[in-house]
Order: sequence, then C-alpha cells, then structure tokens
Amino acid sequence: MKARFLALVLLSGCATGYQTPAPVETPGTSTTQQQVPVVIARQESPAVAGLLESARSDAAAGKLGSAAATLERALRIEPRNPRLWHELAKVRLRQADYSQAESLAARSNTYAGTDAELRAANQKIVADARAARAQ
Amino acid sequence: MARRRKLWRFLRFALLAVVLAASGFTLYLDFRVRHEFEGRRFALPARIYARPLELHAGLRIGLADVADELRDAGYREGAREGGEPGWFARSGNDLDISLRPFVFWDGAQPARRLRVAFDGGSVLSVRDDKGQEVALARLEPLAIGGIYPANNEDRVLVRLNEVPKHLVQALIATEDRSFYTHRGVDPRGIARAAWSVLRRDRLQGGSTLTQQLVKNFFLTPERTVTRKATELIMAVLLEAHYTKEEILETYLNEIYLGQDRDRAIHGIGLASLHYFAKPVEHLSLAESALLVALVRGPAVYDPYRHADRALERRNLVLRETRDQGYATMQQYAAARSAPLGVNPKAGVGTSPHPAFLQLVHRQLRREYDEKDLRSEGLRVFTTLDPRVQQAAERVLARKLAQFDKEKRFGEAGLQGAVVVTDGQAGEVQALVGDRDPLYRGFNRALDAARPVGSLLKPAIYLTALAEPSRYTLVTPIDDGPFVWKSRGAPDWSPKNYDRKFHGMVPLRTALAQSYNAATARLGTEIGIDKVLANVRRLGVERELSPYAATLLGATDLSPFEVAQMYQTIATGGFRTPLKAIREVTLADGTPIRRYPLAVEQAFAPEPMYLLAAAMQDVVREGTGQGMKNWLAPELNIAGKTGTTDEQRDAWFAGFTGDRVAVVWVGYDDNRAAKLSGAASALPVWAELMASLNPEPLAIPKPDGIENILIDPATGLRADMTCSGARELPFAQGSAPVERAPCASEVGVVVEQAKERAKSWFERLFGR
Repeated sequence: MKARFLALVLLSGCATGYQTPAPVETPGTSTTQQQVPVVIARQESPAVAGLLESARSDAAAGKLGSAAATLERALRIEPRNPRLWHELAKVRLRQADYSQAESLAARSNTYAGTDAELRAANQKIVADARAARAQ
Repeated sequence: MARRRKLWRFLRFALLAVVLAASGFTLYLDFRVRHEFEGRRFALPARIYARPLELHAGLRIGLADVADELRDAGYREGAREGGEPGWFARSGNDLDISLRPFVFWDGAQPARRLRVAFDGGSVLSVRDDKGQEVALARLEPLAIGGIYPANNEDRVLVRLNEVPKHLVQALIATEDRSFYTHRGVDPRGIARAAWSVLRRDRLQGGSTLTQQLVKNFFLTPERTVTRKATELIMAVLLEAHYTKEEILETYLNEIYLGQDRDRAIHGIGLASLHYFAKPVEHLSLAESALLVALVRGPAVYDPYRHADRALERRNLVLRETRDQGYATMQQYAAARSAPLGVNPKAGVGTSPHPAFLQLVHRQLRREYDEKDLRSEGLRVFTTLDPRVQQAAERVLARKLAQFDKEKRFGEAGLQGAVVVTDGQAGEVQALVGDRDPLYRGFNRALDAARPVGSLLKPAIYLTALAEPSRYTLVTPIDDGPFVWKSRGAPDWSPKNYDRKFHGMVPLRTALAQSYNAATARLGTEIGIDKVLANVRRLGVERELSPYAATLLGATDLSPFEVAQMYQTIATGGFRTPLKAIREVTLADGTPIRRYPLAVEQAFAPEPMYLLAAAMQDVVREGTGQGMKNWLAPELNIAGKTGTTDEQRDAWFAGFTGDRVAVVWVGYDDNRAAKLSGAASALPVWAELMASLNPEPLAIPKPDGIENILIDPATGLRADMTCSGARELPFAQGSAPVERAPCASEVGVVVEQAKERAKSWFERLFGR
C-alpha cells in the first residue's frame, strides 16, 4: 500500500496530462488486477505531437479527411491518448458524422481520467452531435 | 475454244477470289493488330501492401526485427555508400538504413537515410543523415501479394527510357541483331538461325523481336504453317504502324521471364525486382545479361534451380554483346567475372500470406469489380503486421507439429486457425487459416464455423453484471444439477467439465472455472433473449437459435467472428468492425478510398470493466492459469477458454494491453478427440503473445466503479487481517455491506477510509 501511495505522490509531481500507453507496475498487496497505476506524461511523444499538429492544421484548412487519417495514424502510436480520440470526434462532428462523433467523444472520456476540461469538451461534442441529429 | 475461255474465266475468277480473300484476311489482321495493340493495356494486378513500420523513439521493437523486415522488403545488408538506395547496415546498437523512395497513399516519400539507435527491445532515437532527430519515420511497406489476372500473370510496367541501355543492347545482340533495320521479318536472321541449328550451338532463334511479340500477344502457341504465316504478316503490319521504340517497350513489358510458384513473372520491370530486388534502372550489365538469358527459356535457365546453366547462358549473352560492339573488353571481363547475384529470398508465389489476402480480397469485393481488381493495378494498403503474422504462422505450425508428434490429443493431422487484432481500432494484424501458412485453400479463420463452447459465456456474465443490484462479482451462484425444460425441445442438463457439481460459488469463480451448470442457471435466470441480444451487440451477426444450449456454445462461429466479439470486450464496449484495409489508391498513387476507423459505443463502461476483471480471473486462477508458464501474471491478461462436447474443438480467446487474439484447434473431420482449450489452444495463444512482448492490460477504471477489499472465502468485506483478501471492483454501491468473520469492525472502517483516500488521490492526480 505504502509503495502505491508513494508512487501516486511521486506521479502527482507532474500534474496535468494523459496516461501514456505503458503502465508501470508497482509493488503492493491486494491491488485489483486492473488497478495498475500508470505513469502520467505531460504531453504526447514528439512523434504524436507532430501528427497532432499536422492534423490540426489540416482541420483548420478544411481538409477534414486528411486530418482524420493523420489522427488515426497517431492513434496507432498512442491508442490511449484521450486528446487524439477527442480531436477525431471533433473532425467527425464537422463532417456531420454525428454518431461517430458521439462514440469517439465517449471513447475519449474513458481515457480522460480527471482532465475535467477535456471531459467537458467531450460532453459538448456529445451534446452538439445529439442536437444536430435531432434536427 | 469456248471450253478454254470458260476455264480461263474460271481461273481469273478463282484468282480474284484468292486475292480478295488474302487481302481481306490481311485487312482483318491489320484491324486486329491496330485494335488490339492500341486497345490492349496490360492487365495489372492489384498490389497488396502490409502496414508500413513507423519508427519513433520509444517504439517497442528490437533491432533484429527491423532488420528482418527490411530484408523481407528486399533491402540488402551492408552499407553501399553512393550506390542505389535499399540497404541497411548494423553497427553496434545502431541501424543505418538507406530507404528507397516510395509512394504512400498520402503522397510520395523520397529516398532518405536514417540512423536508428536501439536500447534492448525498443527504439532509442531516429536521426537523419545530418544527425537531426526525426520524430516519425515511415519505412517502405512489404509487398505481400496481389490479386492477379488470368494465369496469375504479374508484371510491373516500365518505360523504355527507364531501361538501361546495356540491357536493350544485350537483348538485341542476342535475340535480333538487325532489329533496328528490318521490317518485322528478317530473312538473314532466319538463315543465321538455320546455320546455328546446323552448327548445333542454337544461340539464335529465327524470330525477330517483333515476331516474338506478335506470338505472345495475339496468337496461340501451336506450331502450324498457317499460324507461322499469320505471324509473319502481323509482324510486318505491326512494324508498318508502330515505331521501333513502341514495339521494344511493349516487348520488354510482355516477355515471360520466370515462375514463382503459382505466379508468372512477366516483363523486365518485375523480373528485375524478383531476381535482384531492385528497380530496372539500377541493373548492371551482368544482371541485364541474365534477364536476357532467361528470354529463351525461363525454366531451363532458372538461376535458382540451374545456376550453372544460367551462368553459362549469361556469359554467352555477354559475349554476343561484346562481339556486337556494345561492350568493351573491360566491361565484358568485369561482367563475366561477376556472380549471378540473384536475390537469395525464395519466392513465395502469389502471396506469402494467402489467408490474410483472402480476407483483403473479400473486403475489396464489397466495393470493387473482380475485373478491376485483377487489371487496374490498384494499390491496397492493409493492416497486416508482418512480425505478428509470421509469429502466428510459426507458433501454430510448431505447436501443432509438437501435439501431433506426442499424439497428446489424438492422431496426427490437427488443424488450427489464428486471428490477431490490435485491440483498439479493429485492425487485423494477422490471420492464419491452416497450419501450412502457404496453403491457398480452405481458410479456417474465416470459413470454419465451429461450436464455440464456453466462448459465449462472457456475454452471459456481461448481461448479469449490467444489473449490479442483482449480480456482482461475488454474488453466489448455484452450481448444482440443473435441468432446462422447454416445450418442443428435449430436456437439457449441462454437465461440468470435471463431471462434478460445486454447490454455491461466487459469480466470478463460476466464469473463471467455466462451470456449466452455474452458467446455464445464470443465463436462463436473466433470460436467453437478453443474453443473445448482447451477443449481437458484441458484434456477432450470425443468427443464433434462441435455446438454452446456445448459451453454452452449441453455436457455430468462425475464429474471425469470435475475434469481432472479443474486440468489443477488449475496447470496453466500443464495437469496431474488424478491418484489413486502410487505404486504396490508383496505380499512380491517387488515393481513391479510405477505410476509416469506426466505433460505436455498445455498452456502458462499468459492466464491461467488471466483465474484464472476471476474465482476468480466468487467467489468474481459473481454467486459463496455465498462461503463467509463458507470460508474467503482472500482464493481467484477460481471456476465456473454450472446449466443446466430446472435446472436438479447443479455443482460447483473450487480450493483452495491445492485442486481441483468438486461437482455434481441432480436426477437420470433427472427430471426438481429447482436446481442451486450456491444453491445446491456450499454449498456442500464450507462446504467440510471449513472442510479441505484450503490453500489460490496464483498463481505465470508469467513474461508476469502486474497489472494495473482499474476503474470498465468504465474499464479504475484509480488512488487512483477513488472509488472502482481494480488492475487487464493484459498481458504485453494489458491494456487500456485511463484514466477513475474519474482519474487525474497525478494520473495515479503516479499509473504507483508505479506499476513499485513494480515490480522492486518483481523482486529484489522475490514475
């Protein structure tokens, strides 16, 4: 237990951010098997950061198909990065693919942890998608 | 007199008829020549590529694996500074790579140099030739086959200006010396051929290149006088209409130059890649001469099977080239002393991975005509991961051979199938449909629908766990004798694998030990229709009969369908159609179609999380515990074994942090054997995963889940003093409130406080 606490405290040093795909095992008694604590990375790896940037600029230029493709490429590298799922949801929303937007935002939420800002942004996508579908 | 006049008239008439017929025939041939030569475009197969390997710092792949992949793509080992790209060289923990240019679906990538540093099993850094850090480097994807035209003709088109001059010269010196001066037919050539037949050195054939082209292009191979006459006329006509360059270019693309199992190698472009693993423009004089040598008899002079004959013939070609003044004495000597230099990689026919290609072909046929697939030269970028595919093929073949040898489950002749996906985006990374990976027939991964046994059980437990007020992981379930009566069907009373009944067992244990009586009781209690609806929502599209026996796997599914179902579980309830294709482009690289990632949330995250926890118990302490012989328990793998009646089929389906895999093992004739999921399918699964350095499974805990310390003996709340106490997940508020005998009141309160503090920390700082 102590080790686990220590790990949490140490990890808390690098506050905001997402979980990286590689969890770190910590010693500890009687943890549930799913409760492997994960390292908190402050930002994406350079590989994913580059793809994210190019996806964003594609999206800004209206090249949505290409933006989506680039985000999928990034997701193959960091499938548990909630920011990538979120960006993909945004692109699908702009493409009026509402059911995808909604599911992708939900997927982002499963990895969002305590990132309240991201969760709120995902909720907004869900709400927007539902509203658009209702019309 | 009158009779002679009559005869004369008749003769004139006959002559006219003959002339008319001859010119009519010539006109017809002329029409055919122009029509077919112009209208004919070479049928180009759709070309299928594996996923490109994308290198970046931190990627979990070792140096040897990257080197293997480059070698498979025809890259040569050893640095060739200044030479053509397409090599790699190792120095210590670094790999220098000279990448060939490649047109990806999203654009062309020029040739470039990379230096990749490794640290044990992962990439440390990727730099370019100036030492600059490269964030992401995409390697050329492996070509893994094609969808071929009739006779499996394969070719890669080249332009005449890409072909090295010395290749054309060697061809002309050997096959048709007066090519540039004759008009389609060469009487001197025929004479020379006759002379060489007399001299018995048989170097020269009598046909000009034009005649050879006509023969391959328009005519059938029988040897008759009329056919020969037709050939001569058409050759002359072809020369009348087209330039020497047009004829030569077509010849170079048409010519048959060898056989790679069931695949026919046509054209100098493909031959160059096949024999030398390089584009035609980089062929040396010696290499060109070998290809020219093959014109006369690709089987006779096959450099792989008859290296001596091939070398002799090549040197003959070189001599002719020199004698015709196309090569200096020095060039000749250098080329003559060069080895054959053919690519050591053995050909694998139309594809090294035919089972995966079948899947690609089927998915393509939803959007494309068969004819277009076989002729338009489409480029198809797939999801195949060569490393995973090769591992799956290797492990299945090895394990089945071992089982056969030991006769552990029955007579020799076991078969198997494997499907591996990425566990996130539904991309199929590997598919094996036979223990012989090159077998091109029945594909068990796609087409063998076999009883799934206990593989459907997770759907029952999922349905139960979605009602946390009735069922939790510790809810006692009765594993006593059970009989199901329904009108119109015989009574059904499932037995357990060990032929015993186990009384009241916690829900998670009933799944972990795969108890049939308890599971059947649970399934009928919550409703067969409800469970089957969830099976559909998990992605199984096949219609299932609404009987109780269906729940225990009296239902036939293919390994691919099972993979679809387990993919949904692995993603925490997001159904993602399995796909084998990412993009399709035209031959010139213009993108025409993407197959985007599509997800649909089919289940709430909480019951999915609980189900995954129960499936982790299968591996941790249940029927899948043999896994620990191959994989560390810390990987927290989740899965389910499946064994059918009379042990005819054995399954294991499960997932790690980065992959889902399904393995089926059984006999094609469906005989009763001694198979069990744990003893035969699981070892294949485990050995495969162990060779892939899997990521641990760590599913993020949903909001509505809390962890409670439980005494496993009673299923009640425990404290630190209870031996063997375990933290188990529960839907918020569904955990038992009662205290186990081993726990003190204070202890439980302390545990609750600790749990609260921990979740407070988690909430504050993220998990």
